Amino acid sequence: MAETKGFQSAVDIPAEKAEILARPLEERDDIVVCENVHKWFGDFCAVRDVSMRVKRGEVVVIFGPSGSGKSTFIRMINRLEEHQQGSIVIDGIEMTNDVRNLDAIRREVGMVFQQFNLFPHITVLGNITLAPQRVRHMPRGEAEALAMQLLERVGIPEQAQKYPAELSGGQQQRVAIARALAMQPQIMLFDEPTSALDPEMIKEVLDAMRELAATGMTMLCVTHEMGFAREVADRMAFFDEGALVELGPPDQIFNDPQEDRTKMFLDQIL
Amino acid sequence: MTARVAAPLPPATTIGPVGWLRKNLFSSPSNSVVTVVMAILLAWIVVNLGAWVVVQADWTVIVSRVPLYIVGLYPYEAYWRLTICLLLISVLLGMTWRAWPDTARRFSYGFGAIMLFVGVFPHEMAPVHRALLLLNLPAIGLGYMLTPRAGESGPGLLEAIAGGALSSMLDRAAVRLATAWCSVVRALLPSLYGVAFRLATAWCRAVAALSRMLDRVAIPLATALRRPARALAPALDRAAIFSTPRRMLTAVVVALVVTMILILGIDGVPGLDPVAPQDVGGLLINLLLAFFGIVCSLPIGIGLALGRRSSLPVVKVACVIFIEVIRGVPLITLLFMSRHILPLTLPEDLNVDRVYLAGITITLFSSAYMAENVRGGMAAVHPGQAEAASALGLRGWQTTLLINLPQGLRNIIPAIVGQFISLFKDTSLVYFIGMLDLVEMGRVSVQGNQEFIDNGREVYLFIALVFWVFCFSMSFISRRIEGNLGVGRR
Repeated sequence: MAETKGFQSAVDIPAEKAEILARPLEERDDIVVCENVHKWFGDFCAVRDVSMRVKRGEVVVIFGPSGSGKSTFIRMINRLEEHQQGSIVIDGIEMTNDVRNLDAIRREVGMVFQQFNLFPHITVLGNITLAPQRVRHMPRGEAEALAMQLLERVGIPEQAQKYPAELSGGQQQRVAIARALAMQPQIMLFDEPTSALDPEMIKEVLDAMRELAATGMTMLCVTHEMGFAREVADRMAFFDEGALVELGPPDQIFNDPQEDRTKMFLDQIL
Repeated sequence: MTARVAAPLPPATTIGPVGWLRKNLFSSPSNSVVTVVMAILLAWIVVNLGAWVVVQADWTVIVSRVPLYIVGLYPYEAYWRLTICLLLISVLLGMTWRAWPDTARRFSYGFGAIMLFVGVFPHEMAPVHRALLLLNLPAIGLGYMLTPRAGESGPGLLEAIAGGALSSMLDRAAVRLATAWCSVVRALLPSLYGVAFRLATAWCRAVAALSRMLDRVAIPLATALRRPARALAPALDRAAIFSTPRRMLTAVVVALVVTMILILGIDGVPGLDPVAPQDVGGLLINLLLAFFGIVCSLPIGIGLALGRRSSLPVVKVACVIFIEVIRGVPLITLLFMSRHILPLTLPEDLNVDRVYLAGITITLFSSAYMAENVRGGMAAVHPGQAEAASALGLRGWQTTLLINLPQGLRNIIPAIVGQFISLFKDTSLVYFIGMLDLVEMGRVSVQGNQEFIDNGREVYLFIALVFWVFCFSMSFISRRIEGNLGVGRR
């Protein structure tokens, strides 16, 4: 799949992963399996009865009007929000209250936030090396080498010693991507990664995401960047009022939406 | 090429000293009235108070009682031990100056100036104590030299002098003065501007000539000294023992332990005869109580704040009860209870000195307030920070210690220092349980002596000045730290 997206990857893909990625999507295993997931805030049903399977190496773009539960949905995939009904299985690990399961899942899943959420009191390098050192117990030198490699990959190695506040929004978001990648996750979640950015900075973040997709990373992106979605997504998911209304390849979603609500929403934003 | 039109000058009355005055003191008729009234009031107070301080006041009471105010009834034979403590502190100060020049440089100047003043000022003091006080100046220098400064770059002092830094500094100052002068004349007496300008030019030329003369001496001297200085540098580098944070911390801890041993003494060691805690008085007891309180109340306060945020109900309730009980009772009451009620609950043969009881009480009191400050600071940290930490797989306690606590503490540096300042001042309340601190010593020295019965004003003014110097130092350093940590910036 990676090749068909038309991007040259900057990193070497391990042989066994390359072997999996060489298969067409339909023949790969499911890395995210959600069955009938529900979530309430008080009496308000934020996510209702969502079932979705994501293949290894697949890029799924999630879109929909604000308040449609799309952010809540991806936040449940790494347990920033707890689901109250249904089941979520990440790479064979069932999401439960068991701390060991939770730790294992959080190691599998990286996340990038709308507001970057970099740690302002430590340097860029410190932001990236913190979790590998504290969670994976990686020696400091090794963690720093990995961090520099990742900063190189997102194009800002010269910013390593600066503090987050000294960087532009686009640079901060690229650091956030590098920080999440430093934990070597299998899945990356993006929660509106470009919504807080000026237009000229959106491209640099999307480029980093394109590059990531080309390496075969499994990605779930909540975004309104329809150009990015058309170009990079394998499938798109339309959420409305907490429900998964439509799920299909970009071609179908853009040119032949099966649901009226999808069509109405796309007419509004395109 | 067309001639460039010179950019127009701003109106003369909007720039320079005149502009500053107009903008800040005389921006409107009502503000002008306020300025004039306040100036008259201020002048009246300064003149009256100044006249009293210089002419009427009799400072004999202070000069003849200085040891009493500073150390209380501390035995005279052991004074040298206190001066050694002071020397240790000076070394640490020099170390801090070198390591964090932005934070500690000016404070070191101030501290050195006070030592110089006390050491030289004519009052009754044994020459040996005088000498020990003056020794603090080289002690600061020693601490400075023993500390290598990480990543020191740019030319050294000698290189700067050899490069003409002195003369150009002088020139710049002269030009700045001349510019200000010209702008004042241009604003107030435009007709005389030509004369003023010629005067200013002459002045700048004169200063420039002077600075050239300075260069003729300074540059060769600096050049000559450079070689021996370079030769000495490796030896200085080898001597720089405070080279890592760990070593600095060790130095601080060692100095503190030695200080406590020197102040209180050890039984059976010749020259270190124990001093009864109640004999430690005056400013020294205020400082010791404040220091003990500050060092202990911050960690205890942090612990209480974390406890209050804890999800374990028992821990949470215990912390809330402690904080609210302590905060609901005046410090004087707590001190009184520590002196008169707490001993009832202790075994009879356990005789804890009231100095320690007071220290513990003040610490616990301050901890409760500190806990609320810390909690507020941590609550102000954006919830996204904890989310990002969880998403990276950090455990709850790691998130608290590595993410929320450092940011929370940075948020509340001003509040923490405010707490320390108020703690220092509150230590004067220990006179309620019969301790002879600085304020109580002042009262005793006036009321207990027929000769000085009318000198209360001098004594309390002096005491106020002493407290102010310490509190101002704390708030000054806090502002420096805030500046360096970028508090208020994001």
